[in-house]
Amino acid sequence: MSMLSRVAERLYWMARYLERTEDTARVVGAYNHLIMDIPKGAEPGWDIMVQILDAHWEFEQRFRAGNEQNVLKFLVSDTSASCSIPFSIEAARENVRTTRDVLPEETWELVNELSLFARDVAPASVGRRHRHAFLAEVITRCQTINGLMASTLTRDHAHSFIKLGRLVERADMATRMVDVGARDILGRDGRFAAIDPLLWAALLQALSAGSAYRRQVGPLVDRSAVVNFVFLDASFPRSVKFCIKGIGEELVRLKGHEEPLRLVGRIWRRLNRLTNQEMTQEELHAFIDDFQQQLNELHSSIQDAWFQAARS
Amino acid sequence: MEKSWKTYQSDGFYDESITTNGNPRAAASQAIKFLQSLSSEELISRRTAAELAIKEMGISFTVYTEGGNIDRAWPYDFIPRVITAREWSQLSAGLLQRSRALNCFIDDAYNRQKILADGIVPAEIVLESSNYLSSCQGVSPVFGVWAHICGSDVVRDHKGQFLVLEDNLRVPSGVSYMIENREITKRVLPELFENYSIMPLDDYPLKLYQTLAALSPRARRRPNIVVLTPGIFNSAYFEHAYLAQGMGVELVEGDDLFVGSDDCVYMRTVDGPTRVDVIYRRINEDFMDPEAFRADSELGVPGLIRSWKAGRVAIANAPGAGVADDKVIYAFVPEMIRYYLNEKPLVKNVPTYLCMLEKDREYVLNNLEKLVVKPANESGGYGIMVGPHSSKETHKQFAQLIESNPRNYIAQPTLALSTAPTYVDETIQPRHLDLRPFILQSKESWVTPGGLTRVALKQGSLVVNSSQGGGSKDTWIVEDKA
Repeated sequence: MSMLSRVAERLYWMARYLERTEDTARVVGAYNHLIMDIPKGAEPGWDIMVQILDAHWEFEQRFRAGNEQNVLKFLVSDTSASCSIPFSIEAARENVRTTRDVLPEETWELVNELSLFARDVAPASVGRRHRHAFLAEVITRCQTINGLMASTLTRDHAHSFIKLGRLVERADMATRMVDVGARDILGRDGRFAAIDPLLWAALLQALSAGSAYRRQVGPLVDRSAVVNFVFLDASFPRSVKFCIKGIGEELVRLKGHEEPLRLVGRIWRRLNRLTNQEMTQEELHAFIDDFQQQLNELHSSIQDAWFQAARS
Repeated sequence: MEKSWKTYQSDGFYDESITTNGNPRAAASQAIKFLQSLSSEELISRRTAAELAIKEMGISFTVYTEGGNIDRAWPYDFIPRVITAREWSQLSAGLLQRSRALNCFIDDAYNRQKILADGIVPAEIVLESSNYLSSCQGVSPVFGVWAHICGSDVVRDHKGQFLVLEDNLRVPSGVSYMIENREITKRVLPELFENYSIMPLDDYPLKLYQTLAALSPRARRRPNIVVLTPGIFNSAYFEHAYLAQGMGVELVEGDDLFVGSDDCVYMRTVDGPTRVDVIYRRINEDFMDPEAFRADSELGVPGLIRSWKAGRVAIANAPGAGVADDKVIYAFVPEMIRYYLNEKPLVKNVPTYLCMLEKDREYVLNNLEKLVVKPANESGGYGIMVGPHSSKETHKQFAQLIESNPRNYIAQPTLALSTAPTYVDETIQPRHLDLRPFILQSKESWVTPGGLTRVALKQGSLVVNSSQGGGSKDTWIVEDKA
């Protein structure tokens, strides 16, 4: 059975927002954990999370100081900020509401519950006291929804577009985290070098990659090993390489995939050239910049290939 | 404010957080002030949150009872113990010094036996000890280190001075609980961290990994390291799994390993046998190798000791290291420090009477009601008599035990152990504490910033062992305020 372009687009965005919800919760959770381990004065600013989400402009519309209270309000309880957790949840919910017919029955209910939970609990979760529990619950609920789809969704078009959305978002977030994290750590010029491993470990934690990294690479965390792992590990489901490979696999199954597939091929080759290169911070940043641009192009080409029909 | 703060008083003891006139000590003051700002209901809700977190995180330990083994939730008190970085740096230097001297001693005891020949330590207490494994004679582990992981029990006396109570050199446990206690505090009282710079604990698994990796007989970028556990019935199984995961290495049982005809140790994997370079064994040495020690052991690996002696595999702690884990030998550690390192001991021992010496024995037998009597060779707080808290009956019983086997008993004065505020029965009360820091030694050496604090939950009790109803606290080493 074929699928309406409109439905495909909504599923794609539902998956992106759901992934964004989970990833944002992970970033905030990891930073929240990190901050308690770092000597006062050596910690990266709370606004590093605003940087990761590329949301300065929106933040500055609302707040002056990038302090703990403001950043957390912005990300955890502000329903109008487009990178906040509640905003992403609502967007995911809206997209499910209009695609219920192609999803497993329980999906709507779970997403709806997630939205009710966030509306209820988010406002009281800005402070330290309840923050952790809120974030952990959001992550669990996102994973429940993903788990439901992984185990009950027919491998048809719905599955393909959901997977594309999830993987594009995941690769996007992972590269942002590395970019901003590396910039912060290296921008210190060796000041507080003793805590660098804590920062890299927090980055792995934000990607839920700690345990996988230790088994694959070992317990020593340093920049080049972390960058290599996050970008190039072939078997870890949140690595950039794994995401790009998955995108390629889905594209192949869809009719009219020529342009998106060409772009994925380009990204793939570029990624493989990264192998074991020692890069300076500038090179890494330039690489990620370039990578993000290509990812954007890929996103546009997916839109052009399958969603445009909904509008023309 | 919970009203028991106002009447809080630790009579005759050094309280680590509150001075005798009721004011918080400088380093602890921010934390105490925050805790004092919480209502009684709020304290109850924090405790409930902590209990829930412990269950959710699955932090448990096993208690052996007659009715079988019981998995119990880890006992944790949410009021952290605060030690200043300055106090800590002195103690940690002392612990490193001790670990170096102890390793010199073990190496000497199995090789040239100089310290025995020079009469500093009586030869018979070493050579006749059940912990002395003559089959280890002549072995020289790399760096001369036998006890790579040492857990020393430290207490503070009535003046707040640190004293070492014992050194655990066999399979000391508790380090995972130390790390998890921090994790729980972060979850339950995150506000406490706002005004502090606390030394982080998370890097223990990395340090342990580096300590072990340096022992590898093969020069490899990533040597094959395994954690050898006796299995899920062991009381510290939680910790074994925790450390294996933290290092990213395999958790194995005896059956997973075998010694090949080349004397190398292999683990059975789906890809066939894989050579093992370093074994972090959390199994007692008697059970390690039925070929070398207890033939009835089903937990061990036949031929393991052969492989170790041939230098094909490294074992931490090395078999035989337990010779220095004996409360009689303990009494000689300050002498060892002077003898091997030519240094002055930086941390003191608790004064110790050796019942094997006639003069000491006489004193002990005449003063049982004042002393703590301990068997030389037990751990976990078993077989101990706390004189002031025991009946005449028990005194008599111990007098007989001592006379029938004097070598096996030591006695120490009953210490006025330090206290710290602890949440008991929904009130704040002083409770006695000890501390177990962990010292790592191979190519480099390192001490955990802090350690596992155990707390006696019963009023006036000095028994802190978790197997006997003790609790634990998160331990903070904090930068002194500039």
